[in-house]
Amino acid sequence: MTFAINIGLALLLGPLLAGVVRKMIRARVHSRQGPPIVQPFYDLFKLLGKEDLESGPGLVLRYAPMVAFAAILAAALLTPMGLRPPLGGYGDMIVFTYFITIAVVGVIMTGLTSASPYSMLGAGREIMMHLIVEPVLIICLVTAAIKCGSLLMWDMAASNYVNGPSISMVVAAVALFLALQAQIGKLPFDIPEAETEIMGGPFIELSGPKLALFQWAFFARQIVYASVLAAIFIPWGTGFALPWNIAAHLLKVIVIILLVGLIDVVNPRLRIDQAMTYFFGVIFVALVGMGFALIGA
Amino acid sequence: MSAQQLGESVKQRFGDKVISFSVPQPDQLYLTVTSDSIVPVAEYLYKDQGCRFIINSGTDRRQQRGKFLITHFFAQDKEKFYIAVHTEVDEDEPQIDSITPSVPAANWSERETRDMVGVVPTGHPDPRRLVLSDDWPEDLFPLRWDVEHGVKPPSVEGVAPERLAPPEGASVVPIGPYFPVLEEPAYFRVFVEGEEVVGADYRGFYSHRGVEKLGCSVLTYNQIPFIAERICGICGFVHSCSYCQAVERAAGIEVPPRAEYIRTIMLELERIESHTLWLGIAGHIIGFDTVLMQTWRMREPLMWLCERISGNRKTYGMNLVGGVRRDIKPEIYDDIRQVLTDIEREWQELYDAIPGDSTLMARLQGTGILPTEVARSLGAAGPTARGSGLAIDVRVDHPFAAYDRLEVTKCVYDGCDNLARTLVRLDETVDSIKIIRQALQDMPEGPIMAEIDEEIPAGCEGMSAVEAPRGEVFHWVLTGTENRPERWRVRAPTYANLQNVPPMLEGNALADVPICIGSYDPCFSCTERMEIVDVNSGQVRVYSQEEILNGDYRRQDD
Repeated sequence: MTFAINIGLALLLGPLLAGVVRKMIRARVHSRQGPPIVQPFYDLFKLLGKEDLESGPGLVLRYAPMVAFAAILAAALLTPMGLRPPLGGYGDMIVFTYFITIAVVGVIMTGLTSASPYSMLGAGREIMMHLIVEPVLIICLVTAAIKCGSLLMWDMAASNYVNGPSISMVVAAVALFLALQAQIGKLPFDIPEAETEIMGGPFIELSGPKLALFQWAFFARQIVYASVLAAIFIPWGTGFALPWNIAAHLLKVIVIILLVGLIDVVNPRLRIDQAMTYFFGVIFVALVGMGFALIGA
Repeated sequence: MSAQQLGESVKQRFGDKVISFSVPQPDQLYLTVTSDSIVPVAEYLYKDQGCRFIINSGTDRRQQRGKFLITHFFAQDKEKFYIAVHTEVDEDEPQIDSITPSVPAANWSERETRDMVGVVPTGHPDPRRLVLSDDWPEDLFPLRWDVEHGVKPPSVEGVAPERLAPPEGASVVPIGPYFPVLEEPAYFRVFVEGEEVVGADYRGFYSHRGVEKLGCSVLTYNQIPFIAERICGICGFVHSCSYCQAVERAAGIEVPPRAEYIRTIMLELERIESHTLWLGIAGHIIGFDTVLMQTWRMREPLMWLCERISGNRKTYGMNLVGGVRRDIKPEIYDDIRQVLTDIEREWQELYDAIPGDSTLMARLQGTGILPTEVARSLGAAGPTARGSGLAIDVRVDHPFAAYDRLEVTKCVYDGCDNLARTLVRLDETVDSIKIIRQALQDMPEGPIMAEIDEEIPAGCEGMSAVEAPRGEVFHWVLTGTENRPERWRVRAPTYANLQNVPPMLEGNALADVPICIGSYDPCFSCTERMEIVDVNSGQVRVYSQEEILNGDYRRQDD
């Protein structure tokens, strides 16, 4: 059952929450009516039903979307979403970060193999963003690992729940939240795609089912990241009986995604160098958190 | 020194090289000089007298005089007058010394005159084709009198524009001809090293409509205002207004005061429309769609108001030679005031929010630097110039319509960056609201159209400028026979501002290029109005993959 819950949340709640953000937050701030809440599903199904064009030769362009999609789903199966993750016993935080990175590599490879200067630039920016943003996640997870003495993500959540809030975990939660906007590709950090600068970057050559797979993977990724933040660093509610623990987790994820959506709509896009400066700061905060964990705080 | 004094001083300095000069009105100085002295005269005006180059114009007068008339236009902003320097060149030897080495702002217009009239600027530093399409015949000059309007030469395969080579080690990122943030076709080839811009090249003029040729060969005096207004979809009233004023100057027509106030009010309403539109687009360019949505929502009541006044949301169609066609009825004065009050309130909120938005400031401040010196030498106009510390504003420097009776503030910032240009437009919008309020209060009763009994005599000329939202619009009319001008020359502000884009882009990050270009509020339709075009709308041609990969986008066959 936990398989169904994790996969279902990632695949269904992801697009649905994106629709809620567009309708309830984005459109409202814009003084617009906005599209129906289920519009992301319409878009995905429309794209999936289109002709599967390939803009160039090569295995990479053909399989990168599927690899990215599968990698995110695998990461979802390692993520605690209210319950013990279905594959929790088979992979720890290191495997989790690998899966997340595989998805990003899929994006980068797509960008590098498309014959367009915009996709090249997009791939370059994606690499830079990944190299500066991913350490935040890793440092925060290591902080949690130090606190609980295990690399398993479920152990981290349980430990934080049982032992109550500590300085190191609070600092790590703040750092992770500050990086969340970039991890799920929202303004002011949607730099690799930057529609008005490089026309969608790595995805410029994609259409139809391939684009749908990437989009769906990114909708699912929002849930995965929000779940990591909610389950490990804000674990309260995890101890309720079924189904209340799942409900508590859902509530936290929804609040996080709505907050991210609100930040997205009230910010312009930063330049890549400005984003770098910002994330050096966030990494420092995360390192401070780890420092506290090392001295046991 | 006044126009008369300057004319005398030029005469004294250059002696018999100056054939004649005249000052028909205190704000218009016409000089005629010999063709070998054009460079020293231009240098004297530009360097010694601090005049500003506006544009150059070529007229085919082989029928009347057996010569081509080349005219360089300058403005003396401090003394409030415009200068036209006429030179005649022989039809057998159609060339003239280029003034671009001394007056860099003349770069484009000299090339344009070569393309359109066929008078070659000798010694021009960048003699590439500017306006005509790449497969246009070398010896067909559209603006010559013996070339019919609407001529369609056969297209030629396999031609491409001459392109500047990128600096060593740099790669080329194309922005255009179609790009999400360019509303119209324009092709910037941006040379980058990594994310840093090291240079740029521009090729434009993809959608010319042959407006000047149309005006000088097909239309009549009172039809032209409606075509002139369609030069631009956003700031069209400035063109019809400037054209009408030029004809009125040439023919000595006195416009009734009420018509002048109505023109002023419509110009300022248009400025508010344009600046609110710009702010929205600028927000969109840097990914801030909330700004786009909110400013365009604020703007909408203004569009409705203009529809009530003129019958149209845009392109009001109100100007005619001698006045305006529609009155602003006293019943809607209060409605105008109400709309202005609402906009002013919301605009103020926006204004107060900007300095506090650190992400927005990070994108605007210090990016897209256009140094004052570059802006002056390349002839920047409007908010682009005022954002670079050049205090030029036609409404103050060369008052037209009712501006001499109204209080206009020059909004000048010396930041030279995208932020400065933004602040200029924000300030101007507030100022426009004040001007309209004052104009509504002072507007006199009376007729809105001058009585014109006599035919407009041939061979008279008039210069007129209007401060458009994007800068100085300049029109020159040389009256002709058959109830139409012999030559009608248009300079839109974007024509001057686009020449400032390449130096401004250098040193910026590629991510800033769209907002830098956008910060000039470029209006390509204004710039691209000269060429005779074969308008084969509805034609579809499928390009083969090779053609697209080679960048071989050729003109379509009929």
